Amino acid sequence: MTPVYRASAAELLSTAESIATAWQRIGTSGSFLARELHTGRELGFDVHTALPLASVIKVPIALVALDRIAEGALDPALPVTIDPADKSVGPTGVSAFRYPAILAVADLVHQMLTVSDNASADAVLDLLGLDTVEDRLREWDCAGITVRHRMNRMYECAAGIAGENSILALELAIREESSLEPLDPAHANLGSAAALVELLERIWLDRVAHPEATAELRRIMGAQVFTQRLSAELRADAVRVSGKTGTFLHLRHEIGVVETDSGDRIAVAALTRSDRRASIAPDVDLAIGAAARSAFEALRG
Amino acid sequence: MDLLAHLEAYVAVAEEGGFSAAAERLGIAQPLLSRRIKNLEEYLGGALFDRSRRRIANTELATLLLPHASDVLGRAEHIRTLARTALATRTPVLGMPPDCAPAALARVLRTGADREDPLTIRELPAPQREAELAEGGIAFALLRVPPQRCRMRVPLGLGTAEPRARPVHLDQLRPRRASTEQVPRILLTPEDASGFAVERLRKAVAQAGLAEQCVYTGDSTSTAVAEALAGNGLLLCPEAFARTHELAWSPLADPALHRGYTLTAARGSRVPGWLEPLLATVIGAVGETGAPRPEEPVDRAHLAARG
Repeated sequence: MTPVYRASAAELLSTAESIATAWQRIGTSGSFLARELHTGRELGFDVHTALPLASVIKVPIALVALDRIAEGALDPALPVTIDPADKSVGPTGVSAFRYPAILAVADLVHQMLTVSDNASADAVLDLLGLDTVEDRLREWDCAGITVRHRMNRMYECAAGIAGENSILALELAIREESSLEPLDPAHANLGSAAALVELLERIWLDRVAHPEATAELRRIMGAQVFTQRLSAELRADAVRVSGKTGTFLHLRHEIGVVETDSGDRIAVAALTRSDRRASIAPDVDLAIGAAARSAFEALRG
Repeated sequence: MDLLAHLEAYVAVAEEGGFSAAAERLGIAQPLLSRRIKNLEEYLGGALFDRSRRRIANTELATLLLPHASDVLGRAEHIRTLARTALATRTPVLGMPPDCAPAALARVLRTGADREDPLTIRELPAPQREAELAEGGIAFALLRVPPQRCRMRVPLGLGTAEPRARPVHLDQLRPRRASTEQVPRILLTPEDASGFAVERLRKAVAQAGLAEQCVYTGDSTSTAVAEALAGNGLLLCPEAFARTHELAWSPLADPALHRGYTLTAARGSRVPGWLEPLLATVIGAVGETGAPRPEEPVDRAHLAARG
């Protein structure tokens, strides 16, 4: 299927086209948008296609939490006990802990963003309440981003249908997304590249939530440990990438902002689904990195 | 109406000159014989026998038709005999993969003839071998089975224009990041391009970090060979096939991706004892089969949102 391209100038169209072609060649499709934040120059394709967000949804959740902290409604030092018996499943952070742990709310937010910790994210989400997060996003007019379920819902549904067989769950997801509730557009945490770039722009320009909250969110996203996607072809001392990845079955995403010493600020959202029956697809990760690099170089001043 | 059975009754009565003698000759009860004659008379529209005398006599009609009826019965018997002999001496057909070396196949035919166990060979694509065997069109076939549970394993490798390091692990085919290398195409001939075999390869390719799209299944063996010779891909094939086509060859390190075969007989056919060991050498099967890989321990986090 031919993507619907978006380019703010004719010369940017070929960059968008070559990214879409490179993705297609490795069985990957999705929604991509990159925007230079000073000039508004942008390029992408299928920018309004909404995909299940996986861990990318942790960004708006963290923003709501940090905003509550900034306005004094939530104590950043509030201790939260996370018990292995009922914590959310995940490979990193507190999710991987084998004994009960007590963390402060602010540290949970750090964990959920830097190492994409599901247990921390769900603990924060439980404190805030799903409805509060959703209401806040509507108040802020974050059209196109929907929060509907906890992180652990993804594990529950995948394990429920595939019985802990990750290849089977992958095959189901590839063949029929709606067979898994967190992948079904009617029930998923959803977002499009356009909606997410818009959110990043507002976070970086202090045009959403409390400025202390956006500053803290920018700081934490700059400390993310994963570098295999947006950062893959970009990171250097002089080129900083602040981002948040999202990975679930056949979904591989990352959103972030690329900043340079010379003052470039380019927000990128790359949301992908692929037909690969593998948990690890280095070439898909790299295709996201190559897309970010191409877009960055086309858009920078 | 079974015209042959009725004609048989009529010829027997006419020749024996009586119902009881005819019934005895045919080995049937006399009432059945009488009924058949009556039915035939109705069918022909006239009496065959004059029953008014003490000894029955043929009517004119019966005399007229007798040589013709005997002729029909003779021909029917000829058909039955022909069928019986044909069946008794039919040469069983063996379904083989289409890429076997002709000289090796000739060895199978010759051995069959020498042992007075003759057979003929048909080269058929894998799905068709299975279908023909089920329908009884062929007596034996080499069927594809997963190499872990088969008696004959044919190592597969990659046939290439330029020699490569051996053996090949699929993950080695990933291009290096700091290079301009392209992901190579893996070319399949029809023998490997169907069913579980191609499915298994595609999964292994994905697990090795390559796009499943790099597996090309064409329907032409010669096109696949030509592409490999031109350096446009790596041809998945056994070693002998690569040599025949002057391709360099490196084995695939994972024996689970090799070809597995079992020699299977159609219902009612028996595989001659000499055939299986000979076929194993014909297709280039190796002795040991691949040891099944242990199940990997389940990592729950694979099913959660990760990063």
